[in-house]
Amino acid sequence: MHYFDELILTEIRKKNEVALRGLYKTHYAMIANLVCTNSGTEQEAKDIYQEAVIAFYEKVQLPHFVLTCKIKTYLYAICRRLWLKRLAEKKRFYGKIEETESFLEIEEELIDSEEKENRYATMTTALDGLGEPCRSIINDYYVHDHSMEVISITYGYTNADTAKNQKYKCLQRLKKLFFERHKEK
Amino acid sequence: MNLEQEIIELLDRYAKGQLSSEEATAVENRIKQDANFGQQAEQHLSLIGALKFHAERRKLKALLNEAHEELERPVKVISMESKTVKRFKKYWPVTAMAASIALISVVGTFFIIQTKENTQATIYKELRRNVEQIKKSQKILLEDLAEAKKKKTAGNFAGTGFLISANGYMTTSYHVVKESDSVYIENEKFGNRRAVVVFNDPINDISILKIDSSENMNLSLPYTISKSETGLAEEVYTLGFPREEVVFGEGSISAMTGYRGNPNAYQVSVPVNPGNSGGPLLNQKGDLVGIISGVQTQTSGVAFATKSTVLLEVIANETLDTLSKPLILSKQNLIKNTSRIEQVKRWSDYVFIVKVFKN
Repeated sequence: MHYFDELILTEIRKKNEVALRGLYKTHYAMIANLVCTNSGTEQEAKDIYQEAVIAFYEKVQLPHFVLTCKIKTYLYAICRRLWLKRLAEKKRFYGKIEETESFLEIEEELIDSEEKENRYATMTTALDGLGEPCRSIINDYYVHDHSMEVISITYGYTNADTAKNQKYKCLQRLKKLFFERHKEK
Repeated sequence: MNLEQEIIELLDRYAKGQLSSEEATAVENRIKQDANFGQQAEQHLSLIGALKFHAERRKLKALLNEAHEELERPVKVISMESKTVKRFKKYWPVTAMAASIALISVVGTFFIIQTKENTQATIYKELRRNVEQIKKSQKILLEDLAEAKKKKTAGNFAGTGFLISANGYMTTSYHVVKESDSVYIENEKFGNRRAVVVFNDPINDISILKIDSSENMNLSLPYTISKSETGLAEEVYTLGFPREEVVFGEGSISAMTGYRGNPNAYQVSVPVNPGNSGGPLLNQKGDLVGIISGVQTQTSGVAFATKSTVLLEVIANETLDTLSKPLILSKQNLIKNTSRIEQVKRWSDYVFIVKVFKN
């Protein structure tokens, strides 16, 4: 593997934000070109490119992940598949995207990445529906791992038990919102 | 605290790893044994998972969006815009003057075209009276027609073309693609493609184009090019693009010669409009008998079509030498016994709008 790729890979494995940012900026032009010359817009290019970079990022975090090609090729292959799919959905596929190499695992990754994107969208709508202060309380407790005592002070509850009650109510509502939408999909 | 709340609390502590190992094992056992509890636990843990996943991904997205903004930032769009405004302020008198000149030339051209059409009508009347005296070639007339059309459509205009060979060669009228910079063809089946002019025959008003494509085309054309002249009064029809959509027109062969007795063309009574030029003229069997070339101005119902025999001569005598790949003409007509509706349906796959761009 290329030395530069190796370096980026190691840094991304460590969740180095600067490396991820650098990687993003390096290959965007390639994907913008791919999409824009195949009846797409810059916005669409941005969307699928971000999806691909996130998929790559998450893949790299997996303990047994081995990259068998250049990062550039990997990103291109994912974006190409994603874009072909979008085009098929839009039914305005006139152009012809040149075949590069075919990657067997790309297809599976695509399904995986789509499922994740759906889950993300579902949770976003559920949290939006939840409203404040519920959203922040739930986030503080489950994501930032704040204790109930800290939360009760932050949000001005008389004691941890009142905060706990509030959190429970919020959680029940979130559960309803999230799983209802999840079932629809 | 109700029972469910207690369960949630327990699961929270389990998920956060705040339970002792015995307590944790107890929870795990209960998940396995108590189906109801197991279901509750699964739901709750997956919700926590989804929450964490959501937070992580949101952070990632924000990061990537930031990176994207950095990508866009170096382009100094704002300063460019303000410069343009300043420039416009500085040069507006010149711009205004240029605009008025443009306006005058457009209006002027319009009047010139009007006069020109009148002149053509007079030529036509003289012709009827004095056939012997006028020996101008069809070429000049066609050039006039193309010239007038060119001015009307300001730089680019369209005609019709159709495929004649299995490997992507097509034919249209010479005056359609004359002096073109680039030619694009389009129809429903093939989409928008670039085409290159490979041969011109100005005298007979025929041009041969090749679809510019990296792939090797191997089509099976269901029609053939008629090798013999068709008869007077034979019913014919055409497909063309006077609009953005394919338009059908029918009529019959009304004379065996074209404008001013041109023996290489038919006079046909098919309704044609600008944009029909280069379209195929077909007989009852769906075979090609001619190529629509032009109309007589200010006389309705008179159109001309170059004979298919002329096209075959052109292909046989001249073009082969200049083509990198020889034309493969189809030998069999697969649609001769089908209804006209079916013939038109098959044909329209191979008829294109020819879009010509000129400087």
